[in-house]
Amino acid sequence: MTRLIAAEFRKLLTIRLWLWILLASAAWTILYTALLILLNNRTGELAPALSTTAGQHALFAIAAGGAGPLVAVLAVAQVAGEYRHRTAATTFLATPHRRLVVAAEVITFLLAGVGYALACIVINLVVALPWLAGKGIHVSVFGNGNAGVLAAVVISVAVFGMIGAGLGAALHNQLATVTAMLLYLYVLEPLISHIASLHSWTPYLPGVAADGLTQAIQSGVRLLSPWAGGLMFAAWAVAFAIAGAAVTARTDIT
Amino acid sequence: MVEEAGRIVVSGLTKRFGRVIAVDDLSFAAEPGSVTGFLGPNGAGKTTTLRMLVGLVVPDAGGATIGGHQYTTSAAPGREAGVVLEAAGFHPGRSGRNHLRVYCTACGYPLSRADQVLERTGLTEAGRRRVRGYSLGMRQRLALATALLGDPAVLILDEPANGLDPEGIAWLRNLLQDYARRGRTVLFSSHALPEVEQLAERVVIIGRGKLVRAGPLAELTAGQGGLERVFLSLTATPGDSPRPGGERS
Repeated sequence: MTRLIAAEFRKLLTIRLWLWILLASAAWTILYTALLILLNNRTGELAPALSTTAGQHALFAIAAGGAGPLVAVLAVAQVAGEYRHRTAATTFLATPHRRLVVAAEVITFLLAGVGYALACIVINLVVALPWLAGKGIHVSVFGNGNAGVLAAVVISVAVFGMIGAGLGAALHNQLATVTAMLLYLYVLEPLISHIASLHSWTPYLPGVAADGLTQAIQSGVRLLSPWAGGLMFAAWAVAFAIAGAAVTARTDIT
Repeated sequence: MVEEAGRIVVSGLTKRFGRVIAVDDLSFAAEPGSVTGFLGPNGAGKTTTLRMLVGLVVPDAGGATIGGHQYTTSAAPGREAGVVLEAAGFHPGRSGRNHLRVYCTACGYPLSRADQVLERTGLTEAGRRRVRGYSLGMRQRLALATALLGDPAVLILDEPANGLDPEGIAWLRNLLQDYARRGRTVLFSSHALPEVEQLAERVVIIGRGKLVRAGPLAELTAGQGGLERVFLSLTATPGDSPRPGGERS
């Protein structure tokens, strides 16, 4: 298994997409950190003030957590890319036990997610802490439960990586999977999670569960508690991974 | 019991795609120490058969063994058989050398194996460039280099001469014959008869997924006026024009 994970990392690092995704994650983090600070106290009901605990939690969760979907895209690109570039045959010739390959892919992007999350957290803190200090708001990284939020961000981005790998293994079509995933996360899910009459089940949807985990609070959206959200989000990732392994095991590589 | 090491045995192999029977109760063997040509018209089921041999396509009935057991159950499949399926199967943005190193890592070979097979296939210089810029012949060589990584007992190749220039074909012939001379098994598919006549000692001919004839090339063509005449007479279907269905078989 270690060999397979090392091979997946070698695949990841020998094409440049990982770097572009890292730059995009960094850009997202800087943009949202800056926006939340610039709009502080002007956001009305959109986000709580950054002098409050809730405001600081939202700042960390939304800014650093933005890497999650990008890591999922990276995972889909690699896993489904095996079919697009027809490398799947060589991969399964080297390792005929295909479920092990899918497991290695899922673990690889879990670990990659941890790396991307840590990078984004560093960027987030480097931008936010001095800026807020200049405004007289002193944020303690380890106080106010902030450390817990940052840990949740790491878990969230890692689980997004697992989800991308599982989806890529289940659907095999790189472009369709990325498109469907982004439309779901940024269009469909925000729409339905704001409908109050659906609040009995919308917190359990993957992206909303992830927001519950990190407590990325948005007005009008019902979230689960961090623990419940985290478990729900992880359950989605495991379900997608199992589906990916099952589909991959029975696909004829023609 | 027959010595199984490196022997390819196909027995009763059958595969349907929807209503089309691609491979129909096919049985044959390829022996160590020889180059066996696997022949048939386009769409005869050659590619599907080779893919079933190594577990990429699951047969509906029958089975195949390499060295006495199924490829997919081997503890070290890359040492069992090296497989060249098509001159594709590379990420365009990855260098040939890195492509090989990925599979060195997956199979637990030292990374230096990548440089050795690059040298063996004449790609040492090109190896550091991205595959995007490779010609068809270079991709074919890289596919062969990938197959050679595990120094396997058996080589299975699907249309390996596609895209090679005459010099490349001569080089391939030497490589395959040298491989067989060292007591290993070479099975390659082709629909280019001159190539088969140059390369193979034994042939297996299929048509419409069924076995048509198998045996030593010399025996098959003795007194028949060359492989082409034998092939055409064996694979001709009454009233049939060239079958549709493109290149993939």
